Amino acid sequence: MKFIRLIVKNLLRNKRRTFLTVSSIAVSVFLIATLETVLTELRNPPETPDSALRLVVRHGISMFEILPYAHRAKIARVEGVEAVIASMWFGAVYKDPSNFFASFAVDTDQFFQVYPDLQITEEEKEAFIRDRTGALVGRSLAKRFGWELGDRIFLESNTWPITVELTIQGIYDGGTDLGNTLYLHWDYFNELLKKEYGAWDTTVFFWVRVKSPDLVGSVSERIDETFRNSSFPTKTETEKGFLLSITNMLGDVQLLITSIVSVVIFAVILVAANTMAMSIRERTREIGVLKALGFRRRQVLRLLLGESLLLSLSGVVLGALPARWLYSGLNIAQITSGFISKFEVTNGTLLLCLAIGIVVGIAAAAVPAWQAARRPTVEALRSVV
Amino acid sequence: MRIPVKYNFRSLMVRRVSTFMTVMGIGLTVGIVVVLLAMIRGLDLTFTETGDDLNLVIVRKGAESEVTSYFAPNAYDLVRYLPGVVRDTGNEPLAVGEIVVVINLPRKDGGESNIAVRGTSEKSFLLRPEVQIVAGRKFRPGVRELIVSRSLLERVEGLDVGSEIELHGVPWTVVGLFDAGSSAYASEIWTGYTDVAQTWQRPVYSSLLLRAESAEAAESIKRRVSEDQRIQLDAFTQKEFFSNQTVSSVGLKVLATLVAVIMGVGSCFAVMNMMYGQVMSRRQEIATLRALGFRRRHIVSSFLVEALILSFFGGLTGCLLGSLFHGYSAGTSNLMSFSEIVFNFRVTPEVLSAGLAYALVVGLFGGFLPARQAATVRLVEILRQ
Repeated sequence: MKFIRLIVKNLLRNKRRTFLTVSSIAVSVFLIATLETVLTELRNPPETPDSALRLVVRHGISMFEILPYAHRAKIARVEGVEAVIASMWFGAVYKDPSNFFASFAVDTDQFFQVYPDLQITEEEKEAFIRDRTGALVGRSLAKRFGWELGDRIFLESNTWPITVELTIQGIYDGGTDLGNTLYLHWDYFNELLKKEYGAWDTTVFFWVRVKSPDLVGSVSERIDETFRNSSFPTKTETEKGFLLSITNMLGDVQLLITSIVSVVIFAVILVAANTMAMSIRERTREIGVLKALGFRRRQVLRLLLGESLLLSLSGVVLGALPARWLYSGLNIAQITSGFISKFEVTNGTLLLCLAIGIVVGIAAAAVPAWQAARRPTVEALRSVV
Repeated sequence: MRIPVKYNFRSLMVRRVSTFMTVMGIGLTVGIVVVLLAMIRGLDLTFTETGDDLNLVIVRKGAESEVTSYFAPNAYDLVRYLPGVVRDTGNEPLAVGEIVVVINLPRKDGGESNIAVRGTSEKSFLLRPEVQIVAGRKFRPGVRELIVSRSLLERVEGLDVGSEIELHGVPWTVVGLFDAGSSAYASEIWTGYTDVAQTWQRPVYSSLLLRAESAEAAESIKRRVSEDQRIQLDAFTQKEFFSNQTVSSVGLKVLATLVAVIMGVGSCFAVMNMMYGQVMSRRQEIATLRALGFRRRHIVSSFLVEALILSFFGGLTGCLLGSLFHGYSAGTSNLMSFSEIVFNFRVTPEVLSAGLAYALVVGLFGGFLPARQAATVRLVEILRQ
């Protein structure tokens, strides 16, 4: 480590080249951090103590099948179930088809028991429960469209042949969706569909709150057991498992991202290797002098590898940390209509970038440093660059 | 007189290791961009190349995919007997009412896929000549027989001809395989209309496909369908209908832009690094060129040409690497119907020229500053040894 000054001086000898190389590595690491964050978020949907207690019940065949509303009472009787609500995808569109966001028609009587993680005042809770055409919206969603308490809004559905007029009765903060969802009354929704189809009384999901975390597995099994031989069998998953099965539908995206990251790493190695090769070649004679002064081969090798590592790790720091700062201020949930709810460069991703930096640093200098260290001193001293 | 391009080639060959690494670095970047463009192109073409301009798809007003569309059988009869619909030899309209449902099937690489099942009839083959039976035979209606797209076979478990699978709690038999080219139908399973309608207990239609006699007839049918208040339906040409679904590639487009911009900047830095190296080590040569009578602008353009040569070969390498993925098959979710869509990567001439153009832009930006610096080399430097 006593040669750290020498390493730094060597790097600063050609400031422009060092700057360009570090920048090139930094932007690539920025990209890697971004892509890894996408992967992390896809693989690890948000989970809180409250969301871990939530189960999603859907039809056993697929999430496009409907379940009779009568299932609700049967689920409520299952041992370990604290509360259960029906929930139906509404597919709301506000004014323009591009203004699309997550929206569900839900039973309001036990809604706040299933979603205790939504932060909202008692008055607003009651107002939402009382008003059959009331809507509960997330803070971020309300901001996006400039909605305030008491506003009346018209929403079209891109899934059902209905339009609703709703009054905003509550605005919540928090939640695993970070305030990007709209909830309306299931009764109201059901009534409109009944007018359209004659009969309805069906739903796609039931959301269940379990009494305690250790009951999650057994309650899921008991719910599915209850309906196993009925004409509407169910599949019960945790909220997290359900979100994972949705991202799983994106198919080969994960493989694609992983492949891109690998190719980018390879490209970074090439850039860094080019710089190290140029810089070591220019210093052939100097390295000869070092060896003439008594430096061992191993020391020379270490010096050059240290230089390369410092170069690549500077790039990692300048790429990964800004990514972390930049994304911490990003409302990704709003951009993706709630599909991805948070976008955070985790410590794991930072560590991964660090590991990539070390691999790049060693790989970039390995060949030229080895050659330089092995070169006979006399020959190195004689060389003209 | 301009400086001969041969000079640039020779200069690059002198530093062949650096040249090779820079070219490979650009090549990898262009390669990623080409593959991403080929994916986007492949996915979009799957939708935009599906169908015929005389074929009209009729769905519920406001429905963006067949999965969220359903209407009663009386509307079906109202539409198919409209004037302008092609009649077959028995004077029956060439039209087919269909129902589309989505099922979950296990994917070969783990996880589950949502697969669209189309309940249709014999007429479907007349309306969609791109669909051909390649193994086994067509399904017979009423006995729960399925035919499966060949592309699904590679991705989904247990769909070989002769196998029995359980859908919605009852057994079905796979009796044939069809090839639907690269159209959107290549991601589907087909069976008889009544088989689906009865099993799912949904006596409705999702869509109606008919053939118009002429473009004018198609226009007039479209107008009459959408103006008829009784039926609340909308008519589109098959092409229009599927082109709405190209929204499925929006995620890929974001990804491609992100990767192209960030890696483009990184590659620019790499080119700059290489070209600054060239300028620095050739100061005497440049001064000599000036002494020989070449003007500053000749020097600038010569170095720019060199950067462009570098990036051109990088682009070529990238196009070659990207072309290896031509025809590669992948699956993602059709964001309009949430069913799986299988598509092939397509490295088209447009994709390749976009890749090359991208490489040249990188070369131009990367070469600009070093070329300008080359022009500042003064004549007296020829004297400095």
